[in-house]
Amino acid sequence: MNFLSRLKPSGREGSLGLILIVTIGITGIINPRFLTGDGTRDLFTSTAVVALLAIGMAPIIIMRHIDLSVASTVGLTAWFIADLSAKHPEFTWVQCFIIGPIIGMIVGILNGLLVAGLRLPSLVVTLGTLYIVRGAVYVISNSVDYNAQEMPPSLLSLGQKVFFGIMPFTFLLVIFAMLVTAWFMKYRKAGRDCYAIGSNPHAAVLVGIKVFRRTFLAYVFSGAMAGLAGVFYLMRFAQVDSTAFYGQELAVVAAAVIGGVTIAGGSGTTVGATIGALLVQTIQGGLAAIGVDAFWKSAINGLLLIVAIFADRTLARKSENALLEQRITERA
Amino acid sequence: MAQKGDLLLQMKGVQKRFGGAIALRGTDLSIRAGEIHALLGENGAGKSTMLKILAGVHVNDGGIISLGDKTFITGSPEAAIAQGIAVIYQEPSLFLDLTLAENVFIGRQPMKGVAIDWAQAQVEAARLFAELGVPLDPKRQARGLSIADQQVVEIAKALSMNANIILMDEPTAALSASEVERLMTVMKSLKAANKAVIFVSHRLDEVFMISDYITVMRDGATVSENPVSETDLQKVIKEMVGRELTELFPKTENKIGGVALEINNLTNPAYFHNISFTVRHGEIVALAGLVGSGRSEVARAIFGIDKYTTGSVKVNGKDLAKGSPVAAMAEKIALVPEDRRQQGLFMIAGVNRNISMESFDRIKGKLFLNFKKERALTEIWREKLSIKYEAQSNPVESLSGGNQQKTVLAKWLATNPDILIVDEPTRGIDVGTKAEVHKLINAAAGEGKAVLMISSELPEVLGMADRIIVMREGHKVAELSRTEATQEKVIAAATTGSKGA
Repeated sequence: MNFLSRLKPSGREGSLGLILIVTIGITGIINPRFLTGDGTRDLFTSTAVVALLAIGMAPIIIMRHIDLSVASTVGLTAWFIADLSAKHPEFTWVQCFIIGPIIGMIVGILNGLLVAGLRLPSLVVTLGTLYIVRGAVYVISNSVDYNAQEMPPSLLSLGQKVFFGIMPFTFLLVIFAMLVTAWFMKYRKAGRDCYAIGSNPHAAVLVGIKVFRRTFLAYVFSGAMAGLAGVFYLMRFAQVDSTAFYGQELAVVAAAVIGGVTIAGGSGTTVGATIGALLVQTIQGGLAAIGVDAFWKSAINGLLLIVAIFADRTLARKSENALLEQRITERA
Repeated sequence: MAQKGDLLLQMKGVQKRFGGAIALRGTDLSIRAGEIHALLGENGAGKSTMLKILAGVHVNDGGIISLGDKTFITGSPEAAIAQGIAVIYQEPSLFLDLTLAENVFIGRQPMKGVAIDWAQAQVEAARLFAELGVPLDPKRQARGLSIADQQVVEIAKALSMNANIILMDEPTAALSASEVERLMTVMKSLKAANKAVIFVSHRLDEVFMISDYITVMRDGATVSENPVSETDLQKVIKEMVGRELTELFPKTENKIGGVALEINNLTNPAYFHNISFTVRHGEIVALAGLVGSGRSEVARAIFGIDKYTTGSVKVNGKDLAKGSPVAAMAEKIALVPEDRRQQGLFMIAGVNRNISMESFDRIKGKLFLNFKKERALTEIWREKLSIKYEAQSNPVESLSGGNQQKTVLAKWLATNPDILIVDEPTRGIDVGTKAEVHKLINAAAGEGKAVLMISSELPEVLGMADRIIVMREGHKVAELSRTEATQEKVIAAATTGSKGA
């Protein structure tokens, strides 16, 4: 029964957290700067966007779907808000924090209607909206870039704000989003329905779960988080062009999967997804610290992903075999 | 709370058709509180359709269904649940990633303020499991639970919904003897609580042990409904079968030659034990038994798809390597699988591509495939089997079920096998095509091929086979020659046969 208890959600996040701490420790030994306040703050700042997106996508992956359009949505929102701010100098961070999620939700509604309403495969639908949204950014932006001077100063200063010397404002919001979503997924019926749908879609219908509504709202939520992530993007980089955050959607999926949100649906948490994002970023930082060429970055990312999936499958197969054997001995 | 004997559910003249096929042509059923009611019938008699109507999955086209003095509201699983009907399907539909407590209360979790009260859910689930006499841990995941325990979770779910009527579709099909006993105890406790239990089963011995009423269905209609004291095994079997054997099966007398396939003590502890039999050239041997008795698994093991732990397979006296379909095909064995859509055909590929799939050596030119030869090959089989399609390149998907089945047969007959294994060759195809498929199988035997046919249709088994091997729960329970076999004998062996035989 030992391996079974390890498969429990709480155990998964615990061991991930442990791996994260060990990784941070090793990186810190190699490069002591990593363990300083500055190093920790950098880790949080650079993880915030991906972590927020991973939190938004976790419920979708749990439902056995996927949302590949998030990186394009980040680009669209970031450019749009910069453009509006340039035209409306009176804008402060407040408008940005309202408009961002709204733009994201519009993309989410589109995804939700296509996936939940027309029952099209989410991989193809969101691959389509990935291109459509990015294309829209190219068209609307007309190759115009924006820099810090066109953005609301209050937004940029909020992006610089750090609590307790290590906790940037953006990551504080990430933690807040993580906790609220985690609570919702664990303690609300709608959250549990997501797990049920991903675990056994056919049975979900038989027990009367509102599959359309849940799927649709999950996409709207992911869109809203992508919109907010667009605002975070501006706060971190203070500049935007039409290629902003291009091609980063798979980094988000990777973070979630490494964090134990299984692509086959039915299990995983937003806490895991956030730890996954931190882990990816720490390993990147650690490799840079020991002088590994930046060119290796994506190859190492890929390796990490395969190791995570392999560990997942091995554990699952082990428990399946053990249970089959147990049943055979019971029968005999 | 219903009193014992109150009429809970009444169905009168319920009808259901799917496209052109009539599944129910007028079914009657009366269920009272505090009774266990068995629903019997051959495969395709309409039992599952009836359960699905009550579950809210299908809507009946005609007839009256009433619950007590109210009319049953059809059409959605939610509505059925709200009206106190719980269904436990043959394949339990649990959420394997979730805990048992959560599976019991999914969609109806107890709340404390705005949050789900997990502690309460676990306590309640534990109480229900204890009530059923199976102390499962409500905090464990459903994954890895045996089918029997999964059923217990489903029953606990039904109880937590306050269901009055609990439907079970072949609940004992996948259970071992001790598990069946435990399920029966649970069923009796449900009965004592004045619930009505309707269950479908093919195991007649169990049916007579536990039920109060027996309803027999045949061809989509109710044949009889009797208290268990007013009927008996022989009567029930006769009612299930109903018809005399017709000349649907043009059995030809073939010259029977030497042993082609010899199976010795084949065992895979998960599915079958010590299976031995032979099939001779020119002979049709039927493997009969209930769904889940291990017949298909034996066929898959012979062909090398699955492994077996002990025993041997000999082809024409030579040992066949285990676990290798390639080796089996090299020895000219062909397996036409049960599920043609999933395992037998490439649904979106053309008829020609499917038929030539296993005969590449015969259609290849010097360097490339010779499509002229493929066309010719397809044409030969179209004529032999009278497969109907518009163009050779039509995707198999667009063909009718019968023509799909002929295409699979053509694919394997084109390899010119010595040993032909066919698994449920006529499932889901109409009577006319059935006769054609039977003729084909007979013709194959007539050419000296050894044929092993798995079939759940008794008339087919009796009409076609030279010898019949009956399996039950993974054991060979009977071997009958053509002359000694009767429907009653085969059913009796398949449902009550002892493992020692």
